[in-house]
Amino acid sequence: MRGSRSARAARPAFPMRVIAPALFLLLVVAAGRVPAAQTSTATLNASINSVARLSLSSAALTFPDADPDTVPSIQASQGPITVTAKARTSPNGTITLTVRASDELRSGLNTIPASNITWVAAGAGFSNGTLSATTAQAVATWTGSGVRAGTQTFFFRNIWSYATGTYTLTITYTLSAA
Amino acid sequence: MKKAVWSAVIAAAVVLLGSSSAFAQQTAGASIAVTAHVDAKAKLTLSLSSINWLDADPDVTPTFSSGPITVDVKARTSAGGAVTVTVLADGDLTSGTDTIAVNTLAWTASGTGFTATGNNSFTAAQTLGSWTNSGNHTGTQTLTLPNSWTYKTGTYTATLNYTLTAP
Repeated sequence: MRGSRSARAARPAFPMRVIAPALFLLLVVAAGRVPAAQTSTATLNASINSVARLSLSSAALTFPDADPDTVPSIQASQGPITVTAKARTSPNGTITLTVRASDELRSGLNTIPASNITWVAAGAGFSNGTLSATTAQAVATWTGSGVRAGTQTFFFRNIWSYATGTYTLTITYTLSAA
Repeated sequence: MKKAVWSAVIAAAVVLLGSSSAFAQQTAGASIAVTAHVDAKAKLTLSLSSINWLDADPDVTPTFSSGPITVDVKARTSAGGAVTVTVLADGDLTSGTDTIAVNTLAWTASGTGFTATGNNSFTAAQTLGSWTNSGNHTGTQTLTLPNSWTYKTGTYTATLNYTLTAP
């Protein structure tokens, strides 16, 4: 009699013979509601547009006075100007950097042709050139996106025939990324 | 499924919009202010710094001649500014107390802007050349002195001072 009570107390509330069929039933029901396989595509779009950025190491160029016989070509006091061009363009797209003078060198009514200013360039893609007030002159060309840097050292042709004065002009750079 | 289709359409539209702007040309600019200083200056160069005439028979050599002296004038001045070269003797040709009048020391010159003929003076600067505006000019000057029987013997000297002015 005592042994029979002990056996009843140890019996689980949900015997295995009840749980196993219940789990099987749940799986069957669940399997009926969920597809056998599913694929999903996530598309990631990174929008990379054309962009161009240009920076110069100096905003001014100064050519000091000098004796034309001893210094026929005056180098700008600032020395080489560092030009940094950053551009994003299409594959094999052309990037061009040009420069143009706003006008001839002017001191009141007196003028000196802007073409009397030349530059010597250093750096991949950069080229030497002569300033012009009428036509933009190529400073550099590249292909494809990237960051490029080079230098321009400017020179002023120093001849006796100039009228005295302080001559000024502005040179404008344009970086284009197609 | 409908949701997936709409997502694909929107994604394609985004790609198309993105690609159209990606091909637009982009530009960037920068500028530099340029200043060139051109100051007044003048430079005068003579091809020789002394003339030495040896004694000669006045009948055989009635006139001493220096031969052409190259005068090189370089000047920077204001627009329309006058550039002049003048010559002023420091005195008559002298040998001790003896003298030969320096105004008998004459010149002939050639070159644009140079005074073709002139006589030296120690009282007033004589204009050898004059020009307008900056530039360089080259000419020649030949000095001559009569070889007269009346001169007293001696070694006569004088200095000619050339002045280039470019205001």
